[in-house]
Amino acid sequence: MARPRTLLRLAALAAAAAVALAGCGAGAGSASGSTLKWGFSLPTSWDPVTSSTGNDINTISLVYASLTQLDEKATAIPGLARSWDYNADGTAVTFHLRPGLTFTDGTPLDADAVKQSLLRGKTQQNSLLKDQLATISDITTSGDLDVTLHLAAPDYQVPNLLAGKTGEIVSPAAFTKDAAAIPTAPVGAGPFKFESFVPESKAVLVKNPGYWNADAIKIDRLELTPTTDPATVIAAVQSGALDVSFIPGNQIPQAKAAGLEVDVIDSMQVNQVDVNSTLEPLTDRRVVDALKYAIDREQIIDVINGGVGDAVSQPFPKGYVAYDPSLDTAFAYDPAKARQMLADAGYAPGQLSLTVTVNALSQATAELVQQQLQAVGVNATIKVVPPGSSTWQQEVYLGRKAQFALDGTVGRESPVQNLMVVYGSQGLMNTSKVATPEFLAALDAVRRTPLDAPNYPQVLQAAVRAGVQMSPSFSLGTQPRVAVRSKKVSPLPHFLSQYRWEGVTVGSPS
Amino acid sequence: MRRVLAGRVGVVSVAVLAVIALLAAFGPLLAPHDPLLQDPRAILAGPSAQHWLGTDNLGRDVLSRLLAGSTLSLVAGVEAVAVGLVLGVVPALLSVHLGRVVEWVSLRVMETFVTLPFLVFAVAMTALLGNGLQQAMLAVGILIAPGFYRVTRAAALPVATAQYVEAAVLAGASPWTVLRRHVWPKVVPAVAVSTASLLGASLVIVSSLTFLGIGITPPTPTWGGMLATDLQYLYQRPFGPFVPAALIVATVGACNGLADALRDGPSRRPARRKVVADVAAST
Repeated sequence: MARPRTLLRLAALAAAAAVALAGCGAGAGSASGSTLKWGFSLPTSWDPVTSSTGNDINTISLVYASLTQLDEKATAIPGLARSWDYNADGTAVTFHLRPGLTFTDGTPLDADAVKQSLLRGKTQQNSLLKDQLATISDITTSGDLDVTLHLAAPDYQVPNLLAGKTGEIVSPAAFTKDAAAIPTAPVGAGPFKFESFVPESKAVLVKNPGYWNADAIKIDRLELTPTTDPATVIAAVQSGALDVSFIPGNQIPQAKAAGLEVDVIDSMQVNQVDVNSTLEPLTDRRVVDALKYAIDREQIIDVINGGVGDAVSQPFPKGYVAYDPSLDTAFAYDPAKARQMLADAGYAPGQLSLTVTVNALSQATAELVQQQLQAVGVNATIKVVPPGSSTWQQEVYLGRKAQFALDGTVGRESPVQNLMVVYGSQGLMNTSKVATPEFLAALDAVRRTPLDAPNYPQVLQAAVRAGVQMSPSFSLGTQPRVAVRSKKVSPLPHFLSQYRWEGVTVGSPS
Repeated sequence: MRRVLAGRVGVVSVAVLAVIALLAAFGPLLAPHDPLLQDPRAILAGPSAQHWLGTDNLGRDVLSRLLAGSTLSLVAGVEAVAVGLVLGVVPALLSVHLGRVVEWVSLRVMETFVTLPFLVFAVAMTALLGNGLQQAMLAVGILIAPGFYRVTRAAALPVATAQYVEAAVLAGASPWTVLRRHVWPKVVPAVAVSTASLLGASLVIVSSLTFLGIGITPPTPTWGGMLATDLQYLYQRPFGPFVPAALIVATVGACNGLADALRDGPSRRPARRKVVADVAAST
């Protein structure tokens, strides 16, 4: 009888040990309680050289650090480079790297690595950074920490330019070995080290203790999954399947009602109408301007975005250095004026027909715009471009078949870069491909003005005014990021340019 | 028809389809509001005396859009079935009567159609011919044609080799006469069942395509399109998707019920009588 009792005691002891070990496991779990599950979108490529959308900056900057970075107001501040200085005429800029930097593969991140990484962006056959890096004519190094970029012409925008994908430094050891592997197995020196990636499914990243600002990163492990259906996001965060994600502005009340936290973060994204003034009947400037007055921007923000965002007439958000307050009233909604301008152009109500081109996700905006155009006598039909960035490119950007396309810019690190995309003669969103000499001269003046010059804001805003007045295209409103998070995640920092995770903590649900 | 209405399934199915057909015919006239008229001050409103089923994301009356959308949703399904009928039944009958070459070619073509994935093919067709309902329904019709082909051919083959048909041919009847007088009447019941069944299937496909925005130009209302929009606003109008979904389910279910009634109607009752007779004899 004693033997079974001993066995029973042993079993009880084993069970207690198992519970205790499980407890230890839970303790370890709480240490890895700094795991953050982020529902966003996976990048088109983990390689900054081949990444094809601006939105990718939010995800690939998890694994790469750039030479400079943007602060909350999108002003260039030190990154991998602790400082920089220009030569007297603005044709060369030297970046001074922080000492002791390494990539996550252990190789040193020094001046030569920076040179090699930037040169790859300039020369690799499939590089999508060639245009941005065209301003750099040569790269030289001096010692391990100083790298000098020699410019084709004076350009004080380079520190801004290098704050995003363009300035993200990839390990030369990795791309020399196999450049084709970088899009799925990145090696950088960013806040996180890449651990695993399943395309269309999930990426797992762990904290990089060698990151120059590692002390600011409080998350040990970050799991990135794509969210495909906005209708499921709140439920996913509520259930704990995600810790942080994003929702449309009109779901904010529901998210709050579900006990979740919401951060409305101003962004550089501005929605816009790309008007192609080379297509009839938009060759008549009076018609183009009438359309600008016909659109009720506030109504679009209220109905589509649940009131989140600002109506703007320029491709920058309020609070950014390029934002020109004098444009606040430009093309303010005035249907009577629009009707009059159309009448002056010879169009009686119902005589003018127009096609509104839109992607499948913005269909509701197109329907609202259609009714607004009808209110001033324009017969608008909607053309929905099937999903896929290539179809949009063929229809709008490259094909230039769209008269009136509902589009948007996610912004660029350099305001000059953004102005070039939106209004430049070869700008992707300038479907008319026309730019006046006045606008190009104003843009050149910006490039020649140091970022810390007292008159820099005025020079930059003058270029914005020139672009707004010149362009047949027009801005509609800003599109802030609406992040929804579980209560166990601390508030997200408000950076205009992108999601950042400095200081964000993940604790127990409160 | 009498046999279809002899069973409960048949009666319910015909009744549901009759109501849906009336909605499709007169729905746009019954709509209390302009289905396209937006009211940005009253978006995603719940049911009220003014808007019985509330308003959608742009403040449009949901009931009016459902009624207006019923015509297009149903006509699209019927159109696809009509295309499928022509492309399936005619080659099937010809393959039986016009020799081995026609038979081989038609079989290979139908096998090719069967391998095409529905949505991808429909998307490709609309990309090629333009994003319109006619183009999308042409694609759907092509894709359901093999269903008609197989059923028709299976029904026609035994008839083609029947002695009375051979006798008719020997007596000098033309192929057209043979088809019309001897084969077609035997094939019709099977085709009718397939038509009802594939009408249901095509309605689902139409709803799927319009759900994805294929085949319609906004702001034209369709049940599938409304369902897609309502799902985006599930948190604001939780009941929103149920109404268009219920209409789709009811219509497809009624089509399938009608198909069952057409199939079982002629045989079920005698079979039951026989069972009853057997049971009576054994007792």
